[in-house]
Amino acid sequence: MSAGVVQRPAVSPSPVPSPSRKRRPVGKVVVFVLLLAGGLVFASVFVYAALSAVKPADEILANPMSWLPSQWLWGNFALPFEETPFARYYLNSTVVGVSVTVLNVITCTLAGYGFSKFSFRGRNVLFLVVLATLMVPLEVIYVPLYALVFDLGWVNSFAGLIIPAATSAFGIFLMRQSIEGLPDELLEAARIDGAGELRILWHVVAPMMVSPMAALALFIFMTNWDSHLWPLLVGNDAEHQTLPVGLAAMQANNLGSGGIPMMMAAALLALLPTLLLFLVLQRKFVEGITMTAGIK
Amino acid sequence: MALTRTAPGRARTARARPPGSGASGWRRRRDAVGLVFALPALVLFAAFAIYPMLRVFQLSLYDYNLTSPPVWVGLDNFRFLFGDERFLASLGASLFYVVVTYGPAVLLALVLALGLNTRMRGSAFVRLLYFAPVATSWVAVSVIWRLVLQPEGLLNQTLNTDIPWLTSSSWAKWAIAIAAIWKEVGFFLIIFLAGLQNIPKDLQEAAALDGAGSLRRLRYVTLPLLKPITVVVLVMAVIRGFQSFSPQVVLTGGSFGTEVINLFVYKTAFASARMGRASAVAVLMFVLLLMVTFVQLRALRKSA
Repeated sequence: MSAGVVQRPAVSPSPVPSPSRKRRPVGKVVVFVLLLAGGLVFASVFVYAALSAVKPADEILANPMSWLPSQWLWGNFALPFEETPFARYYLNSTVVGVSVTVLNVITCTLAGYGFSKFSFRGRNVLFLVVLATLMVPLEVIYVPLYALVFDLGWVNSFAGLIIPAATSAFGIFLMRQSIEGLPDELLEAARIDGAGELRILWHVVAPMMVSPMAALALFIFMTNWDSHLWPLLVGNDAEHQTLPVGLAAMQANNLGSGGIPMMMAAALLALLPTLLLFLVLQRKFVEGITMTAGIK
Repeated sequence: MALTRTAPGRARTARARPPGSGASGWRRRRDAVGLVFALPALVLFAAFAIYPMLRVFQLSLYDYNLTSPPVWVGLDNFRFLFGDERFLASLGASLFYVVVTYGPAVLLALVLALGLNTRMRGSAFVRLLYFAPVATSWVAVSVIWRLVLQPEGLLNQTLNTDIPWLTSSSWAKWAIAIAAIWKEVGFFLIIFLAGLQNIPKDLQEAAALDGAGSLRRLRYVTLPLLKPITVVVLVMAVIRGFQSFSPQVVLTGGSFGTEVINLFVYKTAFASARMGRASAVAVLMFVLLLMVTFVQLRALRKSA
C-alpha cells in the first residue's frame, strides 16, 4: 500500500495532465464558448421583452422582425400605471411580501431557538410534525385552507394574504440547524450574567444569526413575490390584488397587439425587484436554494 | 414532596451528585421557555397546515359548497373522478408536463453544471445568465413567453417556422414545456453546482494521477458521487411539476390539453363550487407525490 503511494509521484509527472495545472486546453475554451452562447440564448428572452416594451406596437410582431425599435418609446413604461391599477398591485405585493418576510424571520428564529437550545417535553415529536409539513405543498391543502379563511372572514383581506403564510417549516428547520451550532457556553455565560431568555435571543443569538436570517428573508420574499394561486383566492378584489394576480388579469384584458408594449413593460417592472435582489445578493440566493435541497 | 421532607439527607446527596442539577426545577422552567418560543410558529402550523391537512381527507368524503353544511357521500367523489374524462385528462396533462419539462431541464442543468464548475474567468457571468429566470416570477415570465410564442413571435421567427404554439392541441403542451424549461433549468443548475462543490478535489486528482482521462473521471468519479443529489433533484422536480399553475393560466388558460391537475382542482373548487370533489383530487395528488418520493428515496438507498 504505502509503497504504491511512494512510487506514484515518480511515475506521474509525465504526460498525465493534472487538473490543478494552470493550462487552458482548447477543449475548455470551446466548452466555455458553447456555455456562453447558451446563456445568451437564455438572456435573449429578456432582451426581446425589453425591446418590445419600447417599440411602437405595430413593430413588435412584424415579419421579418427587427430587434431594435425604429423609435424608442420609453414612455411605454408609464402605460401600466396610467391604464391599470398597477401602482396598487405593486404596493400590495410590497406590503404583503415585506410583512410575510418579517413575520417568517421572527417566528422561525424564535422556534429555531426554542427547538435547538431547550429540551422541553414533546420537543422531538413537535419538530417532526413541523418537518412532515414540508412534504405537504399548498396545492394539496388549499381547498380546506380556503374554507377556513372563508369562515374566519379573511377572504379579500390582508390578513388572509399574510397570516397563513407567516411561518414556514423550511425556515424553522434552517434556523434550528444554524442556532444549534452556537456554543452553549456562550448562552450560559449570558445567563450567569442574569440576562433573560428574550434578552439572550436578541443580544447574543440574533447578532450571530444575521447570515441565515438574511438567506431566509430573501428566500421567503422571493417566494412570496412569485405567489399566484393563494392571492388569487383570498385577494381578488380591487383593493387586494397583488402583482401576479393583477398581471394575469391585465393579460386577459389586453390580448390585442396594441396592449403588448404595456404588458411587456408591466411584466418587466414586476420582475425587476426580485431580479435586482438576486443580482445584489447572489450568494445568499444560491445558499437559500441549495438549502431547500438539503445540501450544506 | 413528602419524600424530600422525610429524607432530607438523601435529597441533599442526590442534589450533590450531578453538578448543577440542584437547579433542576429552574431548568425545567427554563426549558418550558423553549416551548413558548416555538409557540407562535406551532399555533400557525396547527391552524394553517395541520388542520387543513386533516380536513382535506375528511372533505374528500363529503359534498360541500362552502355555504351549506357538508353532506356525507362516502367514496362517491373518488368513484366519480375515476370515471371522469376531464380529471383523467388533467392527470395526463400533469404527467406530460412533469416529464417533458423536468426531464430535459434536469438533464440540461446537469450538463451545464459540469461545464460551469470551473474557476475560469467569466463563468460567474455565464452562470448569472442561466440563474436569472429563477429569480423572476412565474406570471411575469409567462406574460413574456406569451409574446415569444405568438405566431410572429421570437420563437417562430428564430426557427423560421409557422407553428401556432398556443392555439393548437398538438403544440400548446410543448410550448408551455419550453417556457418552463427556460424558467427551471437555473434552479437545478444551482443545486447541481452545490453538489459538485461538495465532491472532494483530491478524489478527482487521485483519479487523474492514476491516468483516468476526463471522460473516465466523469463516468467513474463525478457521476456516481452526484447520485444522491440527483435523486433529491428528481423528487423536487416531480413535486414542482405537479404544483404548476401560473404558466397554464397565463399562456392557455388551460385550453388545448393543458389543464393540469392543479388547474382542475382550482376550477372544480372555485368555478363549480365542489369543494369535496376538489379535496378528493388533492388527496389523490398527495398520495401520488408521497409514492413518488418513497420510490425515489428507495432507489437511492438501494444504489448507495
